[in-house]
Amino acid sequence: MSDPVRSLISRAARAAVFSRSGSLRSRAARAAVFSRSGSLRSRAARAAGFSRRPLGLVLGLVLVLAGCAQDAELDTFQDRSETARQINDLMYPVLIVAGVVLALVCGAILWLAVKNRVPADKDYEGEFPTQVSHNNRLEIGWTIGPAVIMTVIAVATLITHVAVNSTEANAIEVQVDGQTETWEPRVVVVGQQWWWEYRYYLTRDITTEDLGKLGEDADWELPRADIVTAGQMVIPTGQEVELIITSRDVIHSHWIPALNGKKDAVPGLYTPWKLEADEPGVYFGQCTEFCGLSHSRMRMQAVAVTPGDFQDWIDAQMDEATMPTDEDTAEYRGMEVFTNYCASCHLVTGLNDGDYNGAETYSGSAPDLTHFAGRTTFAGGLFNLYNPDGSLNDDDLAAWIRNPNDVKENYADDLPEGSLPRGMPDMGLSERQISDVIALLATLGPRPTEAQILATEVE
Amino acid sequence: MTITEKPVTEGPLELESGREAIAERPLGVLTRPQGGRGWRDWLSTVDHKKIGIMYGVSAMVFFVVGGVEALLIRLQLAVPNGGVLSADVYNQVFTMHGVTMVFLFIMPLAAAFANYLIPLQIGARDVAFPRLNALSYWIWLSGAIFLNSSWIVGGGGADCGWFCYSPNSGLTFSPSHGVDFYAIGLLIAGIASLVSAINLIVTCLNMRAPGMDLFRMPVLTWMLLITQFLLLFALPVITVALFLLMFDRLFDASFFNPDMGGDPLLWQHLFWIFGHPEVYIIILPAFGVVSEVIPTFSRKPIFGYTFMVFSGIAIGFMGWGVWAHHMFVSGIGPISVAAFSLSTMFIAVPTGVKVLNWMATMWGGQIRFTTAMLFAVGTVAMFTIGGLSGVTHAIAPADTQQTDTYYIVAHFHYVIFGGGVLGLIGGLYFWWPKIFGYMLNERRGKINFWLMLIGFNLTFGPMHILGLQGMSRRIDTYSAGFGFEFWNLVATVGSFIIALSVAALFHNVWKSKREAADLPPPGPDPWDARSIEWMIPSPVPEHNFDEVPTVDGLDEWWHRKYGFDDDGKVVQIATAEEAAQDGSAEGVHLPAPSFWPLVLAVGLPLIGYGLIFNLWLCVPGGLLVGMGIFAWALEPVDDPDAPHDHHDDDDHDDDGDGTHDSDDSVGDGPDELALAAAAPATPGDKQGGARS
Repeated sequence: MSDPVRSLISRAARAAVFSRSGSLRSRAARAAVFSRSGSLRSRAARAAGFSRRPLGLVLGLVLVLAGCAQDAELDTFQDRSETARQINDLMYPVLIVAGVVLALVCGAILWLAVKNRVPADKDYEGEFPTQVSHNNRLEIGWTIGPAVIMTVIAVATLITHVAVNSTEANAIEVQVDGQTETWEPRVVVVGQQWWWEYRYYLTRDITTEDLGKLGEDADWELPRADIVTAGQMVIPTGQEVELIITSRDVIHSHWIPALNGKKDAVPGLYTPWKLEADEPGVYFGQCTEFCGLSHSRMRMQAVAVTPGDFQDWIDAQMDEATMPTDEDTAEYRGMEVFTNYCASCHLVTGLNDGDYNGAETYSGSAPDLTHFAGRTTFAGGLFNLYNPDGSLNDDDLAAWIRNPNDVKENYADDLPEGSLPRGMPDMGLSERQISDVIALLATLGPRPTEAQILATEVE
Repeated sequence: MTITEKPVTEGPLELESGREAIAERPLGVLTRPQGGRGWRDWLSTVDHKKIGIMYGVSAMVFFVVGGVEALLIRLQLAVPNGGVLSADVYNQVFTMHGVTMVFLFIMPLAAAFANYLIPLQIGARDVAFPRLNALSYWIWLSGAIFLNSSWIVGGGGADCGWFCYSPNSGLTFSPSHGVDFYAIGLLIAGIASLVSAINLIVTCLNMRAPGMDLFRMPVLTWMLLITQFLLLFALPVITVALFLLMFDRLFDASFFNPDMGGDPLLWQHLFWIFGHPEVYIIILPAFGVVSEVIPTFSRKPIFGYTFMVFSGIAIGFMGWGVWAHHMFVSGIGPISVAAFSLSTMFIAVPTGVKVLNWMATMWGGQIRFTTAMLFAVGTVAMFTIGGLSGVTHAIAPADTQQTDTYYIVAHFHYVIFGGGVLGLIGGLYFWWPKIFGYMLNERRGKINFWLMLIGFNLTFGPMHILGLQGMSRRIDTYSAGFGFEFWNLVATVGSFIIALSVAALFHNVWKSKREAADLPPPGPDPWDARSIEWMIPSPVPEHNFDEVPTVDGLDEWWHRKYGFDDDGKVVQIATAEEAAQDGSAEGVHLPAPSFWPLVLAVGLPLIGYGLIFNLWLCVPGGLLVGMGIFAWALEPVDDPDAPHDHHDDDDHDDDGDGTHDSDDSVGDGPDELALAAAAPATPGDKQGGARS
């Protein structure tokens, strides 16, 4: 869509919507980044912004109600991207109209109830009420009235619908293994029970059609990507990132409320969607299409970093893992445990990429662990990998490895013959083996920044 | 003219052909049961009133079952990381809660009203096909029991959600038998709704009393008629979908399996082409109830009858063009999304007309806030909230944030509970004296209402906030720290208040029944109501009307009590007791009972178990069904041993005008000789001109 049209539409949308005070919001948003009190501050800023608008009171009430929580990382009203704002800019006025209509209806009912009520212990007095049976003019009026209101809402909806479904070409230059590549920011998002995989194709242009052709293969294989990560999607700020969403088993739904609405991941479909973030931060998400046993524990985050940091992230992701060589270390023993127990499903480039042919799971996939320690969550975005003080959260990690089904229910153990696990099986590791493999995992990838670790905390 | 019953005649029935219609025993064994008292009577009844009561009682039983499931859900979600249920059991419980409440509670409760009230409101002796009516009930019940038996014999309930999206509903992802029970149970229950829909449509179209033009039918009957048409067209769609699902699971058919080239979105389209009209199937009966209750207690006619009827019809039509709004984020293209977004918005228009017309009915009225009226007005207010939140997800971009969150859960509970359930419970209070012959206590009724209203809003109001705060649907647990704690706890408290209110309803029924012995009977018309079911005694005699009334206009019964003087003021011309029938008619011939509908219905779940566990079980099931059908066809019209007290009923077209009118005798198959509603009538009287 051309720029003049876009700006016209966005201006119209904003005008239609009691244009919000942008400066206030963006300041609040900036303050909110990586700051736990941020959400509070942004609410205050928002409330101040609203009170200037007509009917701000109604909206204020909605927001007070919505904002009762101290932290609400998934709050749809805490928009942090242009798209999410466009959606809320449509939602607020409709909410206001709905609130007004509701107030009128309930007010009228209460007024009628008070005015026309005949108490149960009293007889009817006087004459019957006039037996009015109809009034065509009135009724045609209140058929057309709502239709007019809906037409106005429909026009605003179409304008926003076009805006949130349009994409822009915004290729950026990235360095991949020392080569400069022109990259149209695009991430292939793959859902499976019960975690998300994010695939980055930096050195080749992958389109929906390419993926669709491969999707006809029964084994769910996707073309080899330059970067594969799990549970956390890293995106550069200020860039519209196109998503291509699909699934390897059942239908899931990918949703980062602060950045955009959701889109289903349907097996066999490659559905386009987009995300962008104004500011660096960790934005929470949750699978929203019922996908079986651990649907509630299928979570994810979008980690937005500055374009400079994004290049650093790419550089780190392109590195292979360095394997320990000293046989007396826990890391070395951990490597042996990994090779014996984990390598049939999990890939660590630099360790088992030589003979890795996909995972022995139903989906044929398991999280790529090459840069495990560079993420801040594990087990499908469920647990934080680091404590707020920056130390490794080895309690949860050990519990997860000890028996995954205990902390996140799955179908991986005691399977009937012929079926493949969905989720991570109990590998029956000893405590020693567990601590050894954790020691190895802690070495995989560069540690995230303190700010990222803190931003991953929800409490 | 008023049609009167002919005196009872003795001896065998005479047909036009001159042949005597003496009931025989086909095959030497088949006869008709005589009814009588006790359980045999209930099992063999073809009386629309008894069948209506059975629908109602069964629905309330499943209301309790679904309610217990709801409380388990709320207990699990009361606090973060709740440990009341495992994830697996939680998934089964929320699935069965939805399935139970939709298919086993509110639909049969609406069917109870439809069965009981449609014949009474149009002045008929019974429905068009009495034995088919019994068949509907028994099939529905066998489907309902079959569905719930999966808890015991199927390794748990279905765990795929009531919407049962594929491929999660496939054998790979849901290996227990729960989904098989879901598919086959709903297929069986669907037969019941389909049969019932045809029966009631024919009843409404063919069996109206003389003068009861379509546009003199009460709004409730109209809404129920529209509902039956929706059922008639929607059920085949879900039947196809369930059949394909069943074949996928039992016989590896791969309709929805993407591994084999099947299409998961096909299921979604089929499900929602049924699923959205289903919403109106649930809500329109309640709209009808409200449209009867509000005029009665406002002492005014319904405002804009024609608009009310046509807005209902409009909803019925438009309801078919909005299904994909359940699929805005499923990956359908932006043009589809835009089209369904617009169609969804404009369905708000006829719904808005109804709300405004109800308020206009109350305008200038003299409003008596009985329990029934409180429920009706509560329905209007709560449904308005549900309708308005519906508009906020009709705007597709916003729906991408809202769909599959608790905001949706809030929305549809405001529609289905706030609209449907409150409305129908109001209907129970309203028609209770008519059905059971005693009044429900008003004071306890009001406690019931306020508990339910408060509990309902405490439970589902906060879910709006939770959804907008990002709480996903169908999650068995949530972590602390996302801001979900407080409102979830409130919702759980609210759900127990709802449970208390339901207990208050049952208590009221029980206590009022005990007190009724010491109170004067309610009489035919305790509420000074408007439609003709109030002109016959309470409880309704088995034959309904002593004589079928001739209808002169809308609100026929009210106009028999009140007239207008020269100044246009309302004056009473008769008391209800004077104008009412006393129920003393004797020897009115009614369709004979039959056990065969029950036998036929018992066979179906056996076939279901056979499909799931061992195909040999299908043999006795199939034999029962076959035997039921043949015996049904062959059994005599009447008990050969019973005294013949027929009138000179003849075949179909009594009044010789070439059409089948309400004053023609009615029945299904051999029953058609029975159930004579009328004596000879002259052509033209059915136009219902001025009462002579």
